[in-house]
Amino acid sequence: MSAFFAIVKRELRSVTRDKTIMIAIMIQLFIVSFSSVIVTGLMSFYDPESILNVGFNARVGVIGDAGSPLVGFLRDGHLTVRTFSSPLDAESAFRAGRVDAVMLIPEDNGGGVNMQLFLPESESLSTMMLIILREPMKRYENYLREQRGVHLRYSNIQGKSPATYEFRYSFAIPILMFFPAFVAGSMVIDSISEELENHTLETLWAAPVSLNLIFGAKIAAALFLAVVQCTLWSMLLRFNGIQMQNQGLIVLLAVVIAALIAMGSALISTYFKDRERSQLVYSLFVSGSGGVSYFFDLSPVAVMTRYATGDYYTGMADMAIYFVLLLALLAVLPPAAKKLVTMKS
Amino acid sequence: MTSRFRGGSGLVALVVLVGALGISSLVSRQGAVLGKGMYRVGVPPQGPAIHDSRFKTMTVASSPEYWLLDEKAIDVYIDGAQVVSRNDAKSIYAAGALKQYLEKQELARITDEYEIDRAFPLRVEVNYLPAADSFSMAQGPSLSELIEALRSTSSPTGVDSGTADTGTSQARRENYTDAAVREQIKEMQSDNRLPEVVLDFTSDREIIVPSLMSPPMPFSQVAVTFLYVLPVFFISIFFTSSFIDEKIDGRIAVLLSTPVTPFEIIVGKMLPHTAFSLASVVVITLLLKGNLPLAMAIFIPVILFIFAVYLIVPLVYRTFKDTTFVSMLAISVITSYLLFPPMFSGVSDLSYMSPLTLAVKMYRGEPFGLKEYLFSTVPMYFVFLLSAYVGSRILNEEYLMGFRPLYRKAAEAIYLAINRRHIYASITLLSLLLVPVVFMTQLAALALSFNIPMPYGLGGLLLAAAAIEEVAKSVGIATLLEKRIIGSARDVVVLSFLSAVGFLMAEKALLLISLSTVSQSALSAALFSSGMLFLVPLAAHFVFTALACLLTTRFGVRYYPLAILAGSIAHVLYNLAALGVIP
Repeated sequence: MSAFFAIVKRELRSVTRDKTIMIAIMIQLFIVSFSSVIVTGLMSFYDPESILNVGFNARVGVIGDAGSPLVGFLRDGHLTVRTFSSPLDAESAFRAGRVDAVMLIPEDNGGGVNMQLFLPESESLSTMMLIILREPMKRYENYLREQRGVHLRYSNIQGKSPATYEFRYSFAIPILMFFPAFVAGSMVIDSISEELENHTLETLWAAPVSLNLIFGAKIAAALFLAVVQCTLWSMLLRFNGIQMQNQGLIVLLAVVIAALIAMGSALISTYFKDRERSQLVYSLFVSGSGGVSYFFDLSPVAVMTRYATGDYYTGMADMAIYFVLLLALLAVLPPAAKKLVTMKS
Repeated sequence: MTSRFRGGSGLVALVVLVGALGISSLVSRQGAVLGKGMYRVGVPPQGPAIHDSRFKTMTVASSPEYWLLDEKAIDVYIDGAQVVSRNDAKSIYAAGALKQYLEKQELARITDEYEIDRAFPLRVEVNYLPAADSFSMAQGPSLSELIEALRSTSSPTGVDSGTADTGTSQARRENYTDAAVREQIKEMQSDNRLPEVVLDFTSDREIIVPSLMSPPMPFSQVAVTFLYVLPVFFISIFFTSSFIDEKIDGRIAVLLSTPVTPFEIIVGKMLPHTAFSLASVVVITLLLKGNLPLAMAIFIPVILFIFAVYLIVPLVYRTFKDTTFVSMLAISVITSYLLFPPMFSGVSDLSYMSPLTLAVKMYRGEPFGLKEYLFSTVPMYFVFLLSAYVGSRILNEEYLMGFRPLYRKAAEAIYLAINRRHIYASITLLSLLLVPVVFMTQLAALALSFNIPMPYGLGGLLLAAAAIEEVAKSVGIATLLEKRIIGSARDVVVLSFLSAVGFLMAEKALLLISLSTVSQSALSAALFSSGMLFLVPLAAHFVFTALACLLTTRFGVRYYPLAILAGSIAHVLYNLAALGVIP
């Protein structure tokens, strides 16, 4: 047993010495923060409330039917509305920068209503105006529909845009929880193929240490790091106010997947006995099986999402299949590894 | 020079691409890609069917309130035209997602059931006018002229309805905006949000239907422009591994002992790979039916930039082991620098930082000027020049085979890059060329700062941004101090001044281009000004650099990090004062 821990310690020391693990952690942090900045940043750019919250005062000039319900909808949407009786007045106000946009509201005579909207050429300003004007215009459109006897159902459901929520639970959390598994696999490959290429494995093996013990220790070291990373990410998420349900199940699933990947990569590296080729096959294998798993309802990512959001019907049983796979690999790995190592490449 | 196509960690690029596509589809899609089965929707028996993989439908035969509110087994319940939700986050977002889905279904229903002018009665024609206080009063028709023109043409009937007989008031007249509405309905129904590569030249007057209007997010175009970058990533990885292979089997040593100069070796190795990359740009442009000269003008600097980074990676890496991770890091940094800004194209003009924004514009058929082009591509050339120069200086056997910590390797590279006969010019030039690198690192710091809750995040970002600048300005001087090439305080002060001059020249040059490009919109200022593009006068730059360098002279290079910290704190305080945060 002490030999086992000696190897684990040696593995961990080599990873921390090379700072490899720090680079890996940096990458994960970087990918997630980069994508989260895009999602949350864009969400706020395209959200009328957050535009108005930063103190942008949107002013719109109205020509034409000043009694139109649209004027009321615009005011409800926190726009400052100025009515003009002639296009010339509106134009001079627009030129002088007193209004940011001008609307020509025609009278509603039934049929299609063609409204004219005049926006500044500046791209960012006109985009912002369109975003702010969208809701009032949608309300007016629904009003016109009602006038024409068309009722649009479900238009007043209470609910918030789910983009950020979905990003967090179906992308950010799974990526943070499964990336350590990816790192664990590539660590095991590096470590085993290094020993194979330098022929140090034979020496180690000649000592009273079994091959199972060596591989077991290498995999255990990689899994230990995976657990550390997962815990670190849970803390980071909580620090940022992102709640995860079923913490225990989440870490358990992450570790089971990491174990599957690490054991698979041990097989790959003993088969190819060459780091470069093993890494290539390994990344192909991981991205391939990741892609295929998408089509299954119990894919690791989908189950992870349901654990994290606290789905009522998802529990331990949903990862049973991965436990079965793990047991199967545990049975296959020791004899297979022994055979592959002694086999000439 | 041969090019061997044997890739090691090439798949990492693919992982990044899948990630990028995942995010893009996540925000822009209507049909789910991620988050399968993340919401549970309760429906009564014979309730509506929901065809969206995000939702799992469950038939709730009795007491839906119990299942929704007490057991929380379902997130929302559809009761006829009503949708009931709880008051917690999960349920509120589920309702939001369901709203998006159902609204779309409803639009499809009314499209089928009603005539087009009843189903979509409001059409908004958008006309763009020169902005307020613009001097070009004369150009283009004015607002009142436009309105007059409209009144005269479109008031009695549609302009372009061929059978425009004003008398038939009973028969439904074809409205001239109907065609545009149909187009947008078709777009909504076709549902697959594949990248739209059709060069859609929007006319001066576009027609908007409020319920069919989607925010102008450039995801699909950004995905298309990333298609250009992906092959370059792969090819540059082969470029890297050709260096690594020669380094391992010792052939590079043989090559270096021949009369070929290191610069020739680099160019020779790079040429075939860049040629392949260019060819891929040509092929992609032809396949997408893009504008070839324009695409070349945009992507040549991008290719050079990517190769610049991948030239340094194999020269600096030490063990077999960290190649994977170092190139992964390089890919994620390059990808974010290229992909992050164009996501905001049309919203903030700072998006022109990345040439991909120009490509997005190209595919949207929108114009951009020479200033925008220079703003986004000049930094790429800077990085390439710096990397090619440093690369040719450090390409020697002693450097390649040395096994030292990464920061020692970096210091060594800088030392080799400095021309000892022209120290003053070298330091000035080094600071000048490092400015784009500084911008890129600051952008990375900006992204990372979002992990820390707000006040601390902003504080950390300000400090990090200042520290990055201070390191860039003083690192050359510190290296010279360490190697005892210089030692006197006078030398240090003079060099600090020159370094500040170099840095400021490049910063100002970029600002000069950017100031006219970047409009002063409140939003872009709020997001981007927090640490970058500070207009810091020369004196301030000089003082901070001199402070850091003099402290290093006094206490030794061992305390260089502390000296940088001191210089950065002074820098932050100055920035805060300049912003008016502290008096």
